[in-house]
Amino acid sequence: MKVGVLRATLVSLIACAPAAIAQGARIPSEVVDAFHAALRNKDTAGALSMLDRGLVVFEFGAVDPTVEAYAFQHLPFDMDVAVATRWQLETRRVGGEGNERWVLSTYRVTGKQADGTPIDQTTLETVVLRRTGDLFRIVHFHWSTNDPAFQARAQGQRSKSQAR
Amino acid sequence: MLLRTKLCALSALTCLFASTVALAGHDNIEVDPAFKRYAGLVTALGSADPEGRIYSFQAVQGGPARAKYVPDELRGWRLTVLAGKRFAAVFEVQANTESEITVTLLDGPLNGLAVRDAFVVENVAVKR
Repeated sequence: MKVGVLRATLVSLIACAPAAIAQGARIPSEVVDAFHAALRNKDTAGALSMLDRGLVVFEFGAVDPTVEAYAFQHLPFDMDVAVATRWQLETRRVGGEGNERWVLSTYRVTGKQADGTPIDQTTLETVVLRRTGDLFRIVHFHWSTNDPAFQARAQGQRSKSQAR
Repeated sequence: MLLRTKLCALSALTCLFASTVALAGHDNIEVDPAFKRYAGLVTALGSADPEGRIYSFQAVQGGPARAKYVPDELRGWRLTVLAGKRFAAVFEVQANTESEITVTLLDGPLNGLAVRDAFVVENVAVKR
């Protein structure tokens, strides 16, 4: 009987989860996880719903100064990466107070690139969130990697693009 | 007038691209696209029906995809608004030409969409 009640409760919680995510998660770390889940599930609107309209993104030395610039230019590629790779959370620290919070995470990212080259690196992520009403939304991302070869390659590509 | 609107949209596109440098997602990783997609900017809104509802708009293509969509290629694809009052709103494409996109009635009208709003159209069904 108790097992049945527990099962029913779990089923009910799982059934409610997508709705809760759609409305916007309330705990900062849940917002970060929901953003990554939305990317992995190819849910563009779901990912956008986690972002504050004042979002600024720093990504491997590049800047997306507005949420529109990030959504237009980088989010599609971030979705491709999320679908093609596995992100395993390794460490997380949270902090801040009141309406401003931060979530620091490291992920082991594994998978294969388009040319078959294996991916196995640590991605570092800083997320700043702001609460508006009952909802925390992301106002800043900063991503980098511990892999100096990748970092150098990304910055080299960027230098070439800027020189053109 | 229409030419001026298109030029404004192209200028807005340039601003979006100039703000960052086009590299792969999470910049250091290059993977295959999860699905085919196109992005663009609204250049004009379509005519409203007698109740004032708008279901179509004119657009100019932009974004990371270099290819251009062809008439009715986007039929059944998911359109997500990336800017403005309808930020994150989702629609299903009913039909398209090279310059105009019409959405189905299923997700409501496009009202609130504005010239220079960005959008992405992805080859994936709208979940309802």
